[in-house]
Amino acid sequence: MLPLLRGLLTTLKSMAEKPTTVSYPEQKRPVSARFRGRHVLNRYENGLEKCIGCALCAAACPADAIFVEAAENTDEKRFSPGERYASTYEINMLRCIFCGFCEDACPTEAIVLEDNYELSFTDRKQAIYTKEMLLNPVPAQGKPTPQQVEPGVFTRSVPEMKDPTD
Amino acid sequence: MSDMAMLNSGAENPVDEMVLLRHRNIPDIDQLSVYLSNGGFAAFEKAVREWAPAKVTEEVKASGLRGRGGAGFPTGMKWSFLPDKIWPHYVVANADESEPGTFKDREIMEKNPYQFLEGLMIAAYAVQAGTAYIYLRGEFWPVAQKLDACIAELERAGLLGSNLLGSSYSLRLYTHLGAGAYVCGEESALLESLEGKMGQPRLRPPFPAVAGLYNKPTLINNVETLTNLPPIIKNGAAWYRGFGTEKSPGVKIFSLSGRVKRPGNYELPLGATFRHLIYDLGGGIPGGRPIKAIMPAGASSSLIKASDVALDTAMDYEAVATLGSTLGSASVIVLDDTVNMKWLLQKTLAFFRHESCGKCTPCREGTYWMSLIADRMASGKGRSDDAALLGSVAGQIKGKCLCPLGEFSLTAVQTALSLFPEDFAA
Amino acid sequence: MPKLVNLTINHTRVTVPEGTLIVDAAKEAGINIPVFCYHPKMEPVGMCRMCLVDVARPVIDRATGQPVLEADGAPKLSFGPKLETACTTPVSEGMLVVEDSPKVTAARKDILEFLLTSHPLDCPICDKGGECPLQNLTLGYGPTESRFDFADKLHHAKRVPLGELIFLDRERCIQCGRCVRFQEKIAGDPVIGFYQRGRKLEIQTQTQPGFDSIFSGNTSDICPVGALTTADFRFGARPWEMEAHPSICAQCAVGCNIVFNTKREARSEGGMAIKRVMPRQNEAVNEIWLCDKGRFGYHYLQSGERLTRPMIRQNGELVPVSWETATDTIVERLKTGRSGLTVLAGGRLANEDLFNLKRLADAEHGKTLFYTHMGGGDLTGQVGLAPGSNLATLGKGDAVLVVASDLHEEAPIWWLRLKQAAARGASLVVLNPRATRLDDFAAISQRYHYGRVMDALAALFAGEAGQVLSQAANLVIFFGSEGLGVDGSQAVAQACANLLIRTGHTGRPNNGLVGVWSEPNAQGAWELGYRPAKNLTAELAEAHVTLVAGADPAGDDPALAETLQQSEFLVVADLFMTETAKRANVVLPALPYSEREGSFTSGERRVQRFTAALPPREKAHTEAMIAARVAARLGLKIEESLPVVFEKLAAETPAFTGLSFDRLAETHPQKPLLSREDLYYSGTAYENTAGLGCTLALTGSPAEAEPVTPELPAPVENALLAVPITRLYDRSSTLVHSSSILGQRMIGAEVWLNPQDAAERGLSAGAEIEIHLKSANWPVKVVINADVPAGAALLPRSVGIPAFELAALEI
Repeated sequence: MLPLLRGLLTTLKSMAEKPTTVSYPEQKRPVSARFRGRHVLNRYENGLEKCIGCALCAAACPADAIFVEAAENTDEKRFSPGERYASTYEINMLRCIFCGFCEDACPTEAIVLEDNYELSFTDRKQAIYTKEMLLNPVPAQGKPTPQQVEPGVFTRSVPEMKDPTD
Repeated sequence: MSDMAMLNSGAENPVDEMVLLRHRNIPDIDQLSVYLSNGGFAAFEKAVREWAPAKVTEEVKASGLRGRGGAGFPTGMKWSFLPDKIWPHYVVANADESEPGTFKDREIMEKNPYQFLEGLMIAAYAVQAGTAYIYLRGEFWPVAQKLDACIAELERAGLLGSNLLGSSYSLRLYTHLGAGAYVCGEESALLESLEGKMGQPRLRPPFPAVAGLYNKPTLINNVETLTNLPPIIKNGAAWYRGFGTEKSPGVKIFSLSGRVKRPGNYELPLGATFRHLIYDLGGGIPGGRPIKAIMPAGASSSLIKASDVALDTAMDYEAVATLGSTLGSASVIVLDDTVNMKWLLQKTLAFFRHESCGKCTPCREGTYWMSLIADRMASGKGRSDDAALLGSVAGQIKGKCLCPLGEFSLTAVQTALSLFPEDFAA
Repeated sequence: MPKLVNLTINHTRVTVPEGTLIVDAAKEAGINIPVFCYHPKMEPVGMCRMCLVDVARPVIDRATGQPVLEADGAPKLSFGPKLETACTTPVSEGMLVVEDSPKVTAARKDILEFLLTSHPLDCPICDKGGECPLQNLTLGYGPTESRFDFADKLHHAKRVPLGELIFLDRERCIQCGRCVRFQEKIAGDPVIGFYQRGRKLEIQTQTQPGFDSIFSGNTSDICPVGALTTADFRFGARPWEMEAHPSICAQCAVGCNIVFNTKREARSEGGMAIKRVMPRQNEAVNEIWLCDKGRFGYHYLQSGERLTRPMIRQNGELVPVSWETATDTIVERLKTGRSGLTVLAGGRLANEDLFNLKRLADAEHGKTLFYTHMGGGDLTGQVGLAPGSNLATLGKGDAVLVVASDLHEEAPIWWLRLKQAAARGASLVVLNPRATRLDDFAAISQRYHYGRVMDALAALFAGEAGQVLSQAANLVIFFGSEGLGVDGSQAVAQACANLLIRTGHTGRPNNGLVGVWSEPNAQGAWELGYRPAKNLTAELAEAHVTLVAGADPAGDDPALAETLQQSEFLVVADLFMTETAKRANVVLPALPYSEREGSFTSGERRVQRFTAALPPREKAHTEAMIAARVAARLGLKIEESLPVVFEKLAAETPAFTGLSFDRLAETHPQKPLLSREDLYYSGTAYENTAGLGCTLALTGSPAEAEPVTPELPAPVENALLAVPITRLYDRSSTLVHSSSILGQRMIGAEVWLNPQDAAERGLSAGAEIEIHLKSANWPVKVVINADVPAGAALLPRSVGIPAFELAALEI
């Protein structure tokens, strides 16, 4: 008898509680700090792309989901600092296992797995995210790429990196 | 440079009759007629007319003359390395006098050129070379002009050319100006430069005595070494051994510079003491300040920390070595207590960085790096571990270079760091 | 046999010939001593100091001259005061080399730290990253952290074009001088050099146009860092992303072993594409070198202009059809044809194609004709190089004769090999009407007037050179077609063959006759029985069904174009819509050799196999397949599978007896030992794991015959003598379009004149004029060259001017 009453008590208690249901997609729950969602390609504040087309992400990718092709920057048409930029950057989200190795391999912190987890496709081709889809929007104080820049300013591909603080 | 050479023209010198700096006793000896009337070319004539080439070499061996360019290698022995089977032979006078603090060859060539040329001719006769070159550092163009005029004079006088003095021996001399590189004082780099290539040292072996200029046996001697030859041949080996010590016989020109009252060239028998040179001849230190250190062989010296023992050490090849240094070309730079070693290293390293030819990695990169550190320390922006880093980089270069230049660049660094740590305390 | 020396490296006992350098001896023992400036193909310089090792030598008693022994009887060893460079120190008896001690490891770390002080941190974007000696050795021996201030790093220009093909990154350069030494000592073009000194030391070009050498691409391979990159491959791909497919270069008759590096690319919509061509070691052919034409001239293989579908002519227009329709059209025609099929094939086709086409023609009572501008291949089949030949083994006592050929332009790697043979002491005799770059190291060099080659040969054989040649231990004769047509070169070949037979220089390795063909498989065509027509125009006019494959006669000669226009039924198999194809009834898209397998026979008679680097493009077939398909429809059995075709070929062709694709794929260890694992030793060249090829056996019994000297053209007043010559950067087998990477170096239609002849006609260099030749006018550009003999007008082949033999030319 006692166990039965105890069970009913639980039921009664939860009836008084606020419901935990989130009405997705109108409402979204925050993700954890280290959540690995869809990738983005970052830009510097001036709008130049951080990605230098080195393809180390593709080399690190255990699922062979990333395809990179590089081309050479000029000061008339500059996409990124240094000599090299990614002329093609594609991630096949059907292949991606969101392990984050690409992020670790990136020498310029260009590719980052962000919070977006809303990936759905109606056909396989849609699952291939191109560079245009992955690139972050141009920051307010930046210019879109390609930029025409002063010669001799953006000569370094890899910025001087500091040890991570967090 | 020019003011230095002028400084001591009339300075007192204990040797009454100069062997090398004869112009100080005999005015106008740079005129052929004056040189001839003072016994000039008697030695060459004696050698060519009376002596077989091998006998000249034997006499020089017997005299105990050692190379005055810095290495101190027995001169006669060097001559005997030239193989008899490969011809022609060449002789090259090394007049690339570039060691900071050395200015003896220039005085010889400017003031007493015929004795030098006669010495060169004797050496050429001894190894039966038909052509001899005088390789001068690029800045010596007035010296080259003077020597060219002297050579022309000798040709007119019949002392250079074909069938000299009625013999079958023929000889021509040429001057060649380098482009101003310290490394070209290194004999294989000198040969490269003489051949019209970049002045970078060659791999050794083969040594120049076997495969030198244009891949032929080549004898390379310093200007001062050659200038010793006429008196040796004329007066004999025994006479020459009357100067200097048992193992370092003969006379030597000491180029004295730095913090002394009377810098300049001093001709002394080998074995004179530092004290004699610095105090008796050089007049001591301005203001009577104490000596801190001596660099006995120019910028490439190991430093000698001044002490009574050091000052009373004989300046010959063996005794200086006991102080952990080398006599080298005997360019004695005196440092008093106002000199900070950081400053000294900055200056010497800037020199070696500028003069590194870039062929081998440790010297090219090491001198650059050391110079950066020294600049930083001298400018007061040094860090606590800079002295240790400098010593470590110097140690990293040691023993790994293609030619001696790289090794020279670190001797001052290593000795300054070990002898004067207080100067580097952060 | 050189004396052998015993030494110990670490704990391994090694026995090597006297004079071997420590670094090479260690390599033999499987011990890799790191190097940067040393290269096994070049004299050591000891600059980089990376190879420092500790060396101990036996102590010799000065009095007795005997080694001093330790108490236990072992020789007493004494280490030198300093570490020694393994790349410059030869081994000596009883030596002990220690390369794994803490002292040596520390020295390596020290040198690497020095090198890295000035080296930029841009491995992520460096083309060498992933196959970089400095990167690998840094990981192996380098310091983990830099004590050099990042802010103190020197910044230099990162994109310095040495020429239009090679770019220098001054920051990455470690001043090892490999490129400078390669150009000076191996390529014989000292066009780049060091400038400045110390930390300012840099590489610069010393020519205008920049880096003007036909071997420039090799410097990028041997560069131990990413300082030298090629314009073609700059940022093209990362090394680890690419697949390697062994192949054979098809730009000339040398048959250099290459690797096609392929990768998916966006431009090809995700399809595989060739990203670069790299050398593959074959010490008997190209060692580890490639000429720039071979390295950069591959782009035509993946050109968008390639034929993609079969076409047949309907109502005067070529319209795309299916393969079935195209094959049907041909078969119908063959069935109704009165007699047979005339196959006209070029030397670009593989052995298997030529064999199948011949079988088809034979079955159809037809004939096979070889489209060539040069004769003599029947003789090279009889008195050519025998198995076991290797130009690298020619040396003192041997002789080489080169007649009527500018090898530097026509077969660069042969030029390189002969240069080395001459340096080893072989006597090189050159007989050419004008100066060529072979003269630089020729023992005897003679000239003759164009048209007088037979007299010149007779005089040469009778003179001092004849003595040298006939008394040589081994004699190789290269003959070309400078100023000669098919008949002329046939006569030259015959005269040379006669000399070889007369002096007993046949049937032995390193002896024989080599034709300097311009196509990769011309020798193969001759071996398989293809012969040039006596009168090609007449043969084509008479033919009922003509199949032209791998040749463009209409594009070369307006007279042939006219004939082909009139032909009854013309089938063309080719990569592009050539002038010949435009006149065809049926056009068939062929597969380039990069998309299929097969074999070529080089001028040295070495059969070598190539493999498919890329998947075949849709709707294209090999010529062998085309022949098989047509045959099948005619009820004949001809094999389609290429290995089977080759087996059949080997069974039916005496010279190929015993060969198979498997035999061609055999390898054996080559010296020097160059491989991919230790990139720093030799640079980025591929180890040959795909086959060294086999030299054909000699067949037939060679006999002397009287050469038939062709008649000279009748002299025309005021006319010059038109002389066909072959230039490197032409448009023959490359079909390179002017937009390609070699565009700047490609030649157009031009005429080379002697300064005096030009002055008499009031012509200056670069003038655009018209010449009258073969009853037509041709626009050409004037090139004035003092080496051109007076009265001659040199016309490069395969740029659209019909110059095939000597002819009168009016300006």
